[in-house]
Amino acid sequence: MSLVLLAITSMGALSAFFAIMLSVAHNKFKVEEDPRVERILAELPGANCGACGFASCRALAEAIVKEGAPTNACVAGGNKVAEKISQIMGVESEAVERKVAFVRCGAGKSQKETKATYRGVETCRAANLVMGADSACSYGCLGFGDCERECPFNAIKMVDGLPQVDFSRCTGCGRCVNVCPRNIIVLEKFDDVNYRVKCLSLDKGKKAREICQKSCIACGRCVKFCPYEACWLENNLAHIDPINCQSCGICYSVCPTGAIVEVKG
Amino acid sequence: MLTRLVLIFLGAVLVNNFVLRYFLGICPFLGVTGRVESATAMGFATTFVMTITAAVVWIINTFIIRGLNLPFLEYVSDILVIASLVQLIEMFVRKTNPSLYRALGIYLPLITTNCSILFLALFIPLRNYSFIESIVFGFGAGMGFTFVMLLMSAIREELDFAEVPKSLRGAPITLITAGLLALVFMGFTGLIGTA
Repeated sequence: MSLVLLAITSMGALSAFFAIMLSVAHNKFKVEEDPRVERILAELPGANCGACGFASCRALAEAIVKEGAPTNACVAGGNKVAEKISQIMGVESEAVERKVAFVRCGAGKSQKETKATYRGVETCRAANLVMGADSACSYGCLGFGDCERECPFNAIKMVDGLPQVDFSRCTGCGRCVNVCPRNIIVLEKFDDVNYRVKCLSLDKGKKAREICQKSCIACGRCVKFCPYEACWLENNLAHIDPINCQSCGICYSVCPTGAIVEVKG
Repeated sequence: MLTRLVLIFLGAVLVNNFVLRYFLGICPFLGVTGRVESATAMGFATTFVMTITAAVVWIINTFIIRGLNLPFLEYVSDILVIASLVQLIEMFVRKTNPSLYRALGIYLPLITTNCSILFLALFIPLRNYSFIESIVFGFGAGMGFTFVMLLMSAIREELDFAEVPKSLRGAPITLITAGLLALVFMGFTGLIGTA
């Protein structure tokens, strides 16, 4: 009996000692946190993509609560998330303009010439440092898929050495835009039907044609036929202004090389 | 006296390294060694818990477990000590370094169930160490853990840039690295008598 009593008192004393120590420490190291931070964090996508300009989703949540950052700052979450965050913060929600990533190169591995055999580190960044590895075109996609690995939303798939963007998944965070060493990915306004020049080559028509089947050769047919004056030529390359473009599709149908493509949402 | 302390310390760090000799504490060894910074922080947090645990366990063991002859309380009291200390360090890290707190994530409270610490608590009474020797042993075991965490994380940071065969990427190459490190540490066997 005395053994049981001894055990109970000794363990009780020990526990009491640690309990007191912990409660003292708790008072000393208390961290006060606004519960709204956790609630906003739960609404955010959690991909830490950085499109909002903050280091992480948590950093944005804290900035919204403490520093009054805009509630529609999360590009990846879009309108839905902006609305929920506005509800939590008790302010009016503002619309988020939808942007997605467009790849400005349309030539897969089989459609362009190679100029060398590349046996280096298999990333676009490394390949770009050694004169663009094996690609004869000095403007187009290198095809090692840095963007595919970077995308936090699994929206990019490499098909025949060219990134394919799944627009239903792309949130327009811009991570791929930053990681591409050749800057061939751009963030643009996204409508139901879009016409885009899928080429960035500034080579003269003849040379461009020799090394790539999909290249823009600056023939000017799109400029000539466009009824809205949305197309223009600059440095051997056709451009389409997404604001003036009325999505009629004439440029797409007259382009002889297939450098202008139709992108449906 | 001092030589004995140095031998105990070196023995715990190199010869009888908890991770690579006894294969204890593998969970944080594989889980938090992705980056050097968080690995070292984890190592020092564990060292802190180990050193204090060694001291407190020695006191409890000498004056309560053996002094009052209550051997059945050993495990319970050990767990009580370890859990309280981990709680303490969790509060401390959360207050002083919130980003580190999030980087360590679940592994910080999991120091509670880190088997190397329970092993330490159960090992000290078996070796009949004195109070000072226990503290040195606990500190040495913690430093050994930190040392191995640092080695592993440095190797893994380099591995990120290496061209690893596709089938070995990720966990497999990590486990192979851990195995090779353990082989290396076998070379320390017999370095310091039976310490």
